Amino acid sequence: MKHLGEQEFLDLYCGEGAKSVNAHLEVCRECSTQYAKFKKGLALIKPAAASKRSVDYGEQVWKALRPGLTPYREKISPRWAWAQWRARALAVACAMLLAVAFFGGRYWERITTKKANLTGNAQATKRVVLVVLTDHLDEAERLLVALEHTESSDKAENAQLQSDARELLASNRLYRDTARNIGDPGVASALDQLEGVLAEVSNGPSLTTADLARVRNEMNIEGILFEIRVLRTRGANQGSVPKPAKGESI
Amino acid sequence: MQESDHLVVRAVVAGDMEAYGALVRAHSETVFRVAFGITGNEADAEEIVQEVFWRGYQNLKNFERRSSFRTWIYRIAVNCALNRVSQPRIRAEFRVGDETDVPEKTVQVAAQDPDPERVLLSNEISAAQEMAMQRLTPTEKSAFVLRHFEDRSMSEIAELLGMAPNAAKQAVFRAVQKLRRELAPLLGGA
Repeated sequence: MKHLGEQEFLDLYCGEGAKSVNAHLEVCRECSTQYAKFKKGLALIKPAAASKRSVDYGEQVWKALRPGLTPYREKISPRWAWAQWRARALAVACAMLLAVAFFGGRYWERITTKKANLTGNAQATKRVVLVVLTDHLDEAERLLVALEHTESSDKAENAQLQSDARELLASNRLYRDTARNIGDPGVASALDQLEGVLAEVSNGPSLTTADLARVRNEMNIEGILFEIRVLRTRGANQGSVPKPAKGESI
Repeated sequence: MQESDHLVVRAVVAGDMEAYGALVRAHSETVFRVAFGITGNEADAEEIVQEVFWRGYQNLKNFERRSSFRTWIYRIAVNCALNRVSQPRIRAEFRVGDETDVPEKTVQVAAQDPDPERVLLSNEISAAQEMAMQRLTPTEKSAFVLRHFEDRSMSEIAELLGMAPNAAKQAVFRAVQKLRRELAPLLGGA
């Protein structure tokens, strides 16, 4: 019969002995005695007295530990955290877009209003000048036609022509300066040429037939007359109020 | 107990820090015993208890509820104690203690006991046991402490030490063999 060894005793001691080992222990007095000695020997090995703690040891440990701990926050799943982050980012982006649109719109409105005002003012001024100028141009045209066709040596008639020219000369300067200031070089140039003719007619002490012939030859009366007619036509087109179309309510 | 521990863990993770106090109170003494059994040093064991519960709190979110909190916290305790023992400073202390502390302790306890002969024998056994324990490897000592002093099953010891059950059993066996050999003169050949 084979007796039990230390390994089998340890298995038995650990409660893991096989049935055959237990059965052997029951029948074998020698093994039974050896196992009893084994257990007695181990039983003498006891934990050191220092390993025993007071009843409130756990409380002491907790008191020492507690100040160093911070509470857990409620757990947020990564997916939820990501969704929250996206929502916040989207909200901020929308707010920024709205702000940019608002301020951009205001800026744009300011610029376009200013431009429209400027353009509108200039056009309105031009229109007013052309309307007022029409009368002046009518008178100038009559004077130039008279200059072109008169062959009279009548002093009274020539004096009247000279007097008309002087009146027109003053107002012509005013219109010429205004046209130049509002940026209408075509009108300014025509009035400039007209001023030359008017000055020639006005400046002499008395207008003779020879003076008239010289002015006609030197000053290109026909050309100036043509320009003045063109200007009159333009003034009439721009200054007139457009008529409403048929059936259109005003 | 295991179910109530799980409820407490859930409460702590939900933000109730005070609930952790219940776990600390319930397991402090056992954790201390395990730590002391492995290190053999009271001051170190006290520090290990603090470290174990601090680490436990920090890693409570990783605690898997399919195992018991007790097993989980003991595993941290065993790891901390083994780390402490593996430090050179502790080993040096053991060597110094072998020659100086034991006789001193024997004399002090014997003077207070009403049965001097029995106490003397008991103290001799304690001193010899302490020396024998210090000669065990950390794994053998841990396995023996958990089996003999804490009455843990072999499978639980294997789990706590992170080894196969058979390896844990062999560690206990080697520890028992060494201790019996060391203590044989005092145990009368037991």
